[in-house]
Amino acid sequence: MAAPTIEKVQEVREVTRIERIGAHSHIRGLGLDDALEARQVSQGMVGQVKARKAAGVVLEIIKEGKIAGRGILIAGQPGTGKTAIAMGMAQALGTDTPFTSIAGSEIFSLEMSKTEALTQAFRKSIGVRIKEETEIIEGEIVEVQIDRPATGTGAKVGKLTLKTTEMETIYQLGQKMIESLTKEKAQAGDIVMIDKATGKITKLGRSFTRARDYDAMGAQTKFVQCPEGELQKRKEVVHTVTLHEIDVINSRTQGFLALFSGDTGEIKSEVREQINAKVAEWREEGKAEIVPGVLFIDEVHMLDIECFSFLNRALESDMAPILIMATNRGITRIRGTHYKSPHGIPIDLLDRLVIISTSPYEEKEIKQILKIRCEEEDVEMTDDALTVLTRIGMETSLRYSIQLITAASLVCRKRKGSEVDVDDIKRVYSLFLDESRSTQFLKEYQQEFMFNDNTDEMETS
Amino acid sequence: MCVYGEDFMECPSVPIRKFHEKSIYNKDKRKVHFTFSDGAELIEEYDVNTDELLLRKWRKKGTLGNVGKWEIEVGEQSSSLNFEIDGLVESNANPVFIRKDTKSHFQWRIRNLPYPLENYKIVTKPQEGQIVLSTVNKKYFKMFGVPDLTRYGLPLQQDVIEMAHANNTLIISYKKPAAYVEFEKRLLQEIKRLKASKDGDVDCATS
Repeated sequence: MAAPTIEKVQEVREVTRIERIGAHSHIRGLGLDDALEARQVSQGMVGQVKARKAAGVVLEIIKEGKIAGRGILIAGQPGTGKTAIAMGMAQALGTDTPFTSIAGSEIFSLEMSKTEALTQAFRKSIGVRIKEETEIIEGEIVEVQIDRPATGTGAKVGKLTLKTTEMETIYQLGQKMIESLTKEKAQAGDIVMIDKATGKITKLGRSFTRARDYDAMGAQTKFVQCPEGELQKRKEVVHTVTLHEIDVINSRTQGFLALFSGDTGEIKSEVREQINAKVAEWREEGKAEIVPGVLFIDEVHMLDIECFSFLNRALESDMAPILIMATNRGITRIRGTHYKSPHGIPIDLLDRLVIISTSPYEEKEIKQILKIRCEEEDVEMTDDALTVLTRIGMETSLRYSIQLITAASLVCRKRKGSEVDVDDIKRVYSLFLDESRSTQFLKEYQQEFMFNDNTDEMETS
Repeated sequence: MCVYGEDFMECPSVPIRKFHEKSIYNKDKRKVHFTFSDGAELIEEYDVNTDELLLRKWRKKGTLGNVGKWEIEVGEQSSSLNFEIDGLVESNANPVFIRKDTKSHFQWRIRNLPYPLENYKIVTKPQEGQIVLSTVNKKYFKMFGVPDLTRYGLPLQQDVIEMAHANNTLIISYKKPAAYVEFEKRLLQEIKRLKASKDGDVDCATS
C-alpha cells in the first residue's frame, strides 16, 4: 500500500531583499546643515567636523559641475572615517551622479593593463544625461492574477490586465515581473508605467474611479486620471548613462563574435575618440548634458609610479571627473621607485590635490559611533557595557570594538539574555585578541612558532 | 534608387544608389537587404511568383549607437514559442495587428477580435498621418500610419477605407492611389534587376 503522502507545501519566503550590514551601511550622508556646518551626530556620521565640512565644500563644487579634474586626498590614520566620508559624499550626491569606488590594488588584478583599468574607472565616473525614446506601457490595473504552481516549486506564472480609457490588454507575466509587481504592491486600481525594455514598474497613483473605495490608504496616495489612447506608447525619457557604458555599447563586435568578447575587454582608443566627438556634438546640439561624477580610489598608496603619472595627465582632460583618494600612509616609499614621499604619492601629483585630514576619534565620539552601530545591527546594549566597549575602542581600535558588538550579541543570545551586558563584552574580549595583544603574544612565544628564525630577514626586506 | 529616405523627393525617377543593397534568392522568396548611411537597415521579402510584398522590416540605430530591434512594417514574423517568459509578454488571446498588402490595397488584419462590425469606428487624421481605429465597447484601440504614403508625400483619405469582419478578424483595406501603384511597379522592376545570390539554406539530402 502506498503510504499516504504528506503534502508539504514548501514555505515560500517572499522577502524583497535581505540587506546585509556592511562596515559603512549606517552612513546616509555627510550630516551637514544648509550652511555646510557639520552637525555633531547626523546621518550616521560622528565627529570629524572639519573634514566633513571640507567634504561638503567639495560636494558643492561637484554639484556645480563646472570644474573638471580636481583631486582631493583624504589622509588620516586607520579607522578615522576616511572611507566613511567618501561613502557619505556618494550618498549625498544621490543616484543621478555617477560615483565609482575602487580600491587602489584592484587595478592590478584585472585582465587588462593598469592604465586601461584607470581609464575605464575615469569614464565610469562621467555621466551623460540624454534623451532616449523607449517603449512604455501606461495604464490602469484591472486585475493581477498570480498562480502558484500546484507542486509548490517551480516558476510562478501570472496574468496582468491593463486598461486605458480606450482599450484593454492582457499580459502574461514572467517570474521577474511578478516579483517586481509584488514588491511595488501593485493592485487593481493602480495606474502604473512599465518600461518595456527593462521591465521597471513605476506606480503613478490610484485611479480617480477608485477614489471612493473603502480602502485603507496612506495620506500620500495620489489620485490620477486613467491614461488615454493606446496602452503602449513611445516616450522620450531622460536618463543618465556613463561614458563607459556608451563605449561598451559601441565597441561590441557585431554578430556571433559578440559572444566571445565580453564588456571587460580593453576598449580601442579610436572608439573612445569617436564617442568623445559624438558626445561633444550632442552637447552643442543641446541633446545631451555632461554630469561629472566622482571617482574614489581607496588605499591610493597601492598605485605605482606609472599610475600616478597617468593620473597627472588624466586630470588635465576637460572630461575628467572629481578624483577623491584616501590613504592611511605617512611618508613612505612610492610603489615602483626607491623614493620616499608623503602618503606614498609623488610630489607633483600631491601638488595638484587639496588634502583633507581626519583625526583620531575622541572617547565621546567612539561611544556615539558604537551606539549607531548597535542600532544598525539591532543589538541592545546596557550603558555599562557600552562604556566598557568604548574603553576597549580607545585602547585598541574602533574597528576591533565594532567587531565585538556582533560577537557579544551572539554570546548574549546564547545565554538567552535580552541585553548585551558587561560580562558578554568581557567574554568576547578574552575570546578574541586584538592586534596589540596578538603582537604581545607572538613576542612571548616567538620561539615556538614555525620559521621563527626567518624573522630577521623579514624585517630587513 | 533612393526610395526610402529623405532624399526621395529630389529624385523620384532617377535611380541613384545611395545605399548598399543585397539581393538573395531563397527558394520562393526574394530578399532585398538595404543599408543606409545612418546605419539603418531595411529588409524586404517578395514572393517570386506573385511579386507580392511578404515582409518589410526596419532596424534603426539607437541614440547611443546600440543596435535596435527589428520593427516589422509589413507582414508577420513567425515568432518562436517560448514558454519561459521573462518580463512581460502580451497574451496570445489579445488582438494581433498585422499589415498584409495586396496589389491594389494596403490591408490590415486584426485577428482575435470577436466583436461585430458595428463596434468599430475608423477615422483618419491627415495632419498627423494617422488612422485611428477605436471600439465602442472600449476594448481595442489602435493608431497606425501608412508609412509608404508618408514617404511618397501623399495625404491620407477617409473615403478609400473599407472594413470587413469575418472569422474573428477585422480587415481594413485602404485603396492604393493610382500614382502609388505606378511607383510600386517601377520599384519592383528595379529590384528584379538586382543580381541575386543564393541564400545560405543549402538543400540537405536527407537520405
